Amino acid sequence: MNISESKDFPVHTKSLKEVRDFAREIFDQSPIFNSQKDELVLAIAEAAQNIVKHAYKDVSDTKDIMQIKISFQDNELTIGFYDKGKPVNTENIKHRKLDDIKPGGLGTFFIQQIMDEVVFKEATGWHNHLVLTKNFTAR
Amino acid sequence: MAYDVKEEGNIATVYLNGEIDMDVTETAKEVILPLVEAKKEVHLNLKDVQYMDSSGISVLIESHQKAMEVGTVVKLKEISKSVLKVIMMAKLEQVLNLD
Repeated sequence: MNISESKDFPVHTKSLKEVRDFAREIFDQSPIFNSQKDELVLAIAEAAQNIVKHAYKDVSDTKDIMQIKISFQDNELTIGFYDKGKPVNTENIKHRKLDDIKPGGLGTFFIQQIMDEVVFKEATGWHNHLVLTKNFTAR
Repeated sequence: MAYDVKEEGNIATVYLNGEIDMDVTETAKEVILPLVEAKKEVHLNLKDVQYMDSSGISVLIESHQKAMEVGTVVKLKEISKSVLKVIMMAKLEQVLNLD
Protein backbone atom coordinates (compact mmCIF):
# COMPACT_ATOMS: atom_id res chain seq x y z
CA MET A 1 0.00 0.00 0.00
CA ASN A 2 1.32 3.43 -0.91
CA ILE A 3 0.23 6.71 0.66
CA SER A 4 1.02 10.24 -0.42
CA GLU A 5 -1.07 12.98 1.09
CA SER A 6 -0.37 16.56 1.99
CA LYS A 7 -2.32 19.33 3.64
CA ASP A 8 -1.80 22.99 4.46
CA PHE A 9 -2.54 24.37 7.92
CA PRO A 10 -2.56 27.94 9.23
CA VAL A 11 0.42 28.50 11.52
CA HIS A 12 -1.50 28.67 14.78
CA THR A 13 -1.94 26.60 17.92
CA LYS A 14 -5.57 26.11 16.90
CA SER A 15 -4.34 24.07 13.91
CA LEU A 16 -2.77 21.41 16.11
CA LYS A 17 -6.02 19.50 16.53
CA GLU A 18 -6.54 19.53 12.75
CA VAL A 19 -2.99 18.27 12.28
CA ARG A 20 -3.71 15.35 14.60
CA ASP A 21 -6.99 14.58 12.84
CA PHE A 22 -5.22 14.62 9.45
CA ALA A 23 -2.57 12.20 10.73
CA ARG A 24 -5.12 9.91 12.39
CA GLU A 25 -7.16 9.65 9.19
CA ILE A 26 -4.08 8.58 7.27
CA PHE A 27 -2.91 6.08 9.86
CA ASP A 28 -6.39 4.57 9.92
CA GLN A 29 -5.86 3.55 6.28
CA SER A 30 -3.64 0.60 7.12
CA PRO A 31 -3.36 -1.84 10.04
CA ILE A 32 0.42 -1.61 9.74
CA PHE A 33 0.26 1.61 11.78
CA ASN A 34 -2.13 0.28 14.44
CA SER A 35 0.32 -0.46 17.22
CA GLN A 36 2.18 2.84 16.82
CA LYS A 37 -0.57 5.16 15.69
CA ASP A 38 -0.73 7.22 18.90
CA GLU A 39 3.03 7.72 19.00
CA LEU A 40 3.18 8.70 15.32
CA VAL A 41 0.38 11.22 15.81
CA LEU A 42 2.27 12.60 18.82
CA ALA A 43 5.51 12.95 16.80
CA ILE A 44 3.69 14.79 14.01
CA ALA A 45 1.85 17.07 16.43
CA GLU A 46 5.08 17.86 18.30
CA ALA A 47 6.85 18.79 15.06
CA ALA A 48 3.94 21.02 14.03
CA GLN A 49 3.95 22.56 17.49
CA ASN A 50 7.66 23.33 17.12
CA ILE A 51 6.91 25.31 13.96
CA VAL A 52 4.29 27.41 15.76
CA LYS A 53 6.35 27.75 18.93
CA HIS A 54 9.87 28.23 17.57
CA ALA A 55 9.88 29.08 13.84
CA TYR A 56 7.13 31.64 14.47
CA LYS A 57 8.25 32.71 17.92
CA ASP A 58 7.15 36.31 18.63
CA VAL A 59 5.08 36.35 15.41
CA SER A 60 1.41 36.85 16.08
CA ASP A 61 -1.45 36.67 13.61
CA THR A 62 0.61 35.40 10.70
CA LYS A 63 -1.23 34.43 7.54
CA ASP A 64 1.46 31.88 6.71
CA ILE A 65 0.69 28.22 6.28
CA MET A 66 2.68 25.14 7.16
CA GLN A 67 2.46 22.12 4.94
CA ILE A 68 2.60 18.53 6.12
CA LYS A 69 3.15 15.70 3.68
CA ILE A 70 2.78 12.08 4.76
CA SER A 71 4.05 9.34 2.45
CA PHE A 72 4.33 5.61 2.83
CA GLN A 73 6.18 3.56 0.28
CA ASP A 74 8.26 0.38 0.43
CA ASN A 75 7.47 0.06 4.13
CA GLU A 76 8.97 3.46 4.89
CA LEU A 77 6.92 6.25 6.41
CA THR A 78 8.14 9.74 5.53
CA ILE A 79 6.64 12.86 7.02
CA GLY A 80 7.67 16.24 5.66
CA PHE A 81 7.04 19.57 7.34
CA TYR A 82 7.43 22.80 5.39
CA ASP A 83 7.27 26.31 6.78
CA LYS A 84 8.35 29.85 6.04
CA GLY A 85 9.22 30.83 9.58
CA LYS A 86 12.56 31.76 11.08
CA PRO A 87 15.20 29.44 9.59
CA VAL A 88 16.10 26.73 12.06
CA ASN A 89 19.65 26.55 13.36
CA THR A 90 19.98 22.80 13.73
CA GLU A 91 22.81 23.24 16.25
CA ASN A 92 20.29 24.78 18.65
CA ILE A 93 17.93 21.82 18.51
CA LYS A 94 18.34 19.67 21.55
CA HIS A 95 15.99 18.30 24.12
CA ARG A 96 16.57 18.86 27.81
CA LYS A 97 18.26 16.20 29.88
CA LEU A 98 15.54 13.92 31.20
CA ASP A 99 16.83 14.08 34.77
CA ASP A 100 16.69 17.87 34.66
CA ILE A 101 13.01 17.95 35.55
CA LYS A 102 11.41 21.17 34.37
CA PRO A 103 8.57 22.22 32.10
CA GLY A 104 9.41 22.26 28.38
CA GLY A 105 12.03 20.71 26.14
CA LEU A 106 10.35 17.34 25.71
CA GLY A 107 8.80 17.68 22.24
CA THR A 108 12.03 17.06 20.37
CA PHE A 109 12.82 14.15 22.69
CA PHE A 110 9.47 12.54 21.90
CA ILE A 111 10.02 12.95 18.15
CA GLN A 112 13.48 11.39 18.37
CA GLN A 113 12.19 8.53 20.50
CA ILE A 114 9.36 7.71 18.11
CA MET A 115 10.99 8.18 14.71
CA ASP A 116 14.04 6.49 13.17
CA GLU A 117 15.44 9.61 11.55
CA VAL A 118 14.90 13.34 12.05
CA VAL A 119 16.65 15.63 9.57
CA PHE A 120 16.32 19.09 8.08
CA LYS A 121 16.63 19.31 4.30
CA GLU A 122 16.54 22.03 1.67
CA ALA A 123 13.20 22.76 -0.01
CA THR A 124 12.75 25.39 -2.68
CA GLY A 125 10.25 28.04 -1.67
CA TRP A 126 10.33 27.16 1.99
CA HIS A 127 12.55 28.27 4.88
CA ASN A 128 12.46 25.02 6.81
CA HIS A 129 11.88 21.45 5.69
CA LEU A 130 11.91 18.86 8.43
CA VAL A 131 11.76 15.21 7.44
CA LEU A 132 10.84 12.41 9.83
CA THR A 133 11.18 8.82 8.72
CA LYS A 134 10.32 5.44 10.19
CA ASN A 135 10.80 2.04 8.68
CA PHE A 136 8.06 -0.55 9.09
CA THR A 137 9.91 -3.54 7.69
CA ALA A 138 9.55 -6.44 10.12
CA ARG A 139 12.67 -6.51 12.29
CA MET B 1 -10.49 20.54 26.53
CA ALA B 2 -13.22 20.83 29.11
CA TYR B 3 -12.84 20.74 32.87
CA ASP B 4 -14.77 20.55 36.09
CA VAL B 5 -13.56 21.30 39.60
CA LYS B 6 -14.97 19.77 42.75
CA GLU B 7 -13.74 20.79 46.18
CA GLU B 8 -14.19 18.85 49.37
CA GLY B 9 -12.36 20.09 52.43
CA ASN B 10 -8.78 20.78 51.43
CA ILE B 11 -8.93 18.49 48.38
CA ALA B 12 -9.68 19.99 44.98
CA THR B 13 -10.32 17.49 42.21
CA VAL B 14 -9.91 18.78 38.68
CA TYR B 15 -11.58 16.60 36.06
CA LEU B 16 -9.93 17.24 32.72
CA ASN B 17 -11.63 16.07 29.56
CA GLY B 18 -10.52 15.96 25.93
CA GLU B 19 -7.16 16.63 24.30
CA ILE B 20 -4.48 18.68 26.02
CA ASP B 21 -2.10 20.45 23.68
CA MET B 22 -0.37 23.82 23.44
CA ASP B 23 -3.64 25.49 22.50
CA VAL B 24 -5.21 24.78 25.89
CA THR B 25 -2.29 24.68 28.32
CA GLU B 26 -2.82 28.25 29.50
CA THR B 27 -6.41 27.40 30.41
CA ALA B 28 -5.26 24.26 32.23
CA LYS B 29 -2.68 26.27 34.19
CA GLU B 30 -5.26 28.94 35.04
CA VAL B 31 -7.44 26.23 36.56
CA ILE B 32 -4.79 24.20 38.37
CA LEU B 33 -2.15 26.62 39.62
CA PRO B 34 -4.42 28.88 41.73
CA LEU B 35 -5.65 25.76 43.57
CA VAL B 36 -2.06 24.72 44.20
CA GLU B 37 -1.11 28.22 45.31
CA ALA B 38 -4.05 28.12 47.73
CA LYS B 39 -2.28 25.06 49.18
CA LYS B 40 -5.09 22.70 48.25
CA GLU B 41 -4.23 19.06 47.74
CA VAL B 42 -4.98 18.88 44.04
CA HIS B 43 -6.16 15.68 42.38
CA LEU B 44 -6.03 15.75 38.59
CA ASN B 45 -8.44 13.18 37.21
CA LEU B 46 -7.18 12.21 33.76
CA LYS B 47 -9.49 9.35 32.84
CA ASP B 48 -11.17 11.35 30.08
CA VAL B 49 -8.02 12.85 28.61
CA GLN B 50 -7.56 11.08 25.29
CA TYR B 51 -4.41 12.90 24.22
CA MET B 52 -1.65 14.84 25.91
CA ASP B 53 1.50 16.22 24.29
CA SER B 54 4.69 17.74 25.72
CA SER B 55 2.82 20.97 26.53
CA GLY B 56 0.40 19.05 28.72
CA ILE B 57 3.29 17.22 30.39
CA SER B 58 4.81 20.63 31.12
CA VAL B 59 1.63 21.63 32.95
CA LEU B 60 1.87 18.49 35.07
CA ILE B 61 5.53 19.21 35.89
CA GLU B 62 4.87 22.88 36.67
CA SER B 63 1.93 21.98 38.91
CA HIS B 64 3.97 19.32 40.71
CA GLN B 65 6.91 21.66 41.26
CA LYS B 66 4.69 24.53 42.42
CA ALA B 67 3.00 22.15 44.87
CA MET B 68 6.35 21.11 46.35
CA GLU B 69 7.33 24.78 46.60
CA VAL B 70 4.24 25.73 48.62
CA GLY B 71 4.12 22.52 50.64
CA THR B 72 1.22 20.65 49.12
CA VAL B 73 0.79 17.87 46.59
CA VAL B 74 -0.66 17.24 43.14
CA LYS B 75 -1.84 13.67 42.57
CA LEU B 76 -2.68 12.22 39.16
CA LYS B 77 -5.78 10.02 39.34
CA GLU B 78 -7.29 7.48 36.93
CA ILE B 79 -4.68 8.23 34.29
CA SER B 80 -5.84 7.20 30.83
CA LYS B 81 -3.72 4.72 28.91
CA SER B 82 -2.64 7.27 26.31
CA VAL B 83 -1.57 9.83 28.91
CA LEU B 84 0.30 7.20 30.92
CA LYS B 85 2.19 6.22 27.79
CA VAL B 86 3.41 9.81 27.34
CA ILE B 87 4.31 10.17 31.04
CA MET B 88 6.37 6.99 30.78
CA MET B 89 8.01 8.10 27.56
CA ALA B 90 9.14 11.22 29.45
CA LYS B 91 10.32 8.94 32.28
CA LEU B 92 8.25 10.88 34.80
CA GLU B 93 6.41 8.00 36.42
CA GLN B 94 8.77 8.13 39.39
CA VAL B 95 8.68 11.92 39.59
CA LEU B 96 4.99 12.79 39.41
CA ASN B 97 2.55 11.42 41.98
CA LEU B 98 0.67 8.71 40.10
CA ASP B 99 -2.25 7.12 41.91
